[in-house]
Amino acid sequence: MMLANLASGALAAVGSGRIQGGWGYVWTCYFVTWSALLLYSLSLWRRGSRKDRVSKESR
Amino acid sequence: MPHWLPFPPLLATVVLVALGILKPSLRPTLWRLLAVAAPLALCFGAFLGLRWAPPDREMGDVQRIMYVHVPAVWMTLLALTLNFGCSITYLMKGGWGADALGEASAAVGVFFGTVGVFLGAVWGRPTWGVYWTWDPRLTTAAIALVVYTGYLALRRFVDDPDRRAVWSAVVGIVAFADIPIIWYSVRWWRSLHQVQSTPKTVDPEMTLSLRWNSAAFLLFLVAFLWRRYRLAMAERQAELAPPPAPALEVSR
Repeated sequence: MMLANLASGALAAVGSGRIQGGWGYVWTCYFVTWSALLLYSLSLWRRGSRKDRVSKESR
Repeated sequence: MPHWLPFPPLLATVVLVALGILKPSLRPTLWRLLAVAAPLALCFGAFLGLRWAPPDREMGDVQRIMYVHVPAVWMTLLALTLNFGCSITYLMKGGWGADALGEASAAVGVFFGTVGVFLGAVWGRPTWGVYWTWDPRLTTAAIALVVYTGYLALRRFVDDPDRRAVWSAVVGIVAFADIPIIWYSVRWWRSLHQVQSTPKTVDPEMTLSLRWNSAAFLLFLVAFLWRRYRLAMAERQAELAPPPAPALEVSR
């Protein structure tokens, strides 16, 4: 009985995660991911349209 | 939320790629579709990862980083495996398409790899207490990034297209040896990095969020590969085009 109480107490302690908070790290990761995807998309799009323009001019 | 939810975008990606290969006339429409679908899928993925998925029992809300870190690493492994396939294809059959796709996959793989390693480092700070440690998984991932950056540098240094294609194909095959080591490093060595989870060991809501985000990243991977492949092909065509004829001088 005592062991069961100890076990349920331990489970309750870890119910919402041993690491509390940490939203700053989470938002940093999502922000970096979105920014990287956006910047790489823009970079590829700009390089592609520059290439298209050059090839049209050379024709 | 239904657990089959991530499969329609995955299936759509496969259909999109197949249509793009088989019907070149549809490519502009498919490209526009991809440009709209990928950001929308990412936004819904962010909702699933940040709001809908439950916090982890041990890591709490910090575990939500998994929904961007793991897909980024998976896309890296996919892109670099494609690079390996292109390298073998070029050495066996030749063709500038394989060489251009090899270059595109390495560049996109390094991009996703850099994002994945950065996100892993940020995740490491609250869970391990450090941003970086020379753990086997982290070390082999860092080696892959350095090697494939070298692959891209090699392509810039060699001017002759034929020699460049052969050399980079050889480097692509040798560099791929690190990819299975990255995957199995957490099983082969006592590692600080956790072993891969399976759908049986995690909450189904976590599995759904991870699969959806992976599908969204896959859409980005296809879009980036396609765009980068076109750039590489345009460069090859410019290099291989005959030089313009010199202007004739009119003799007087």
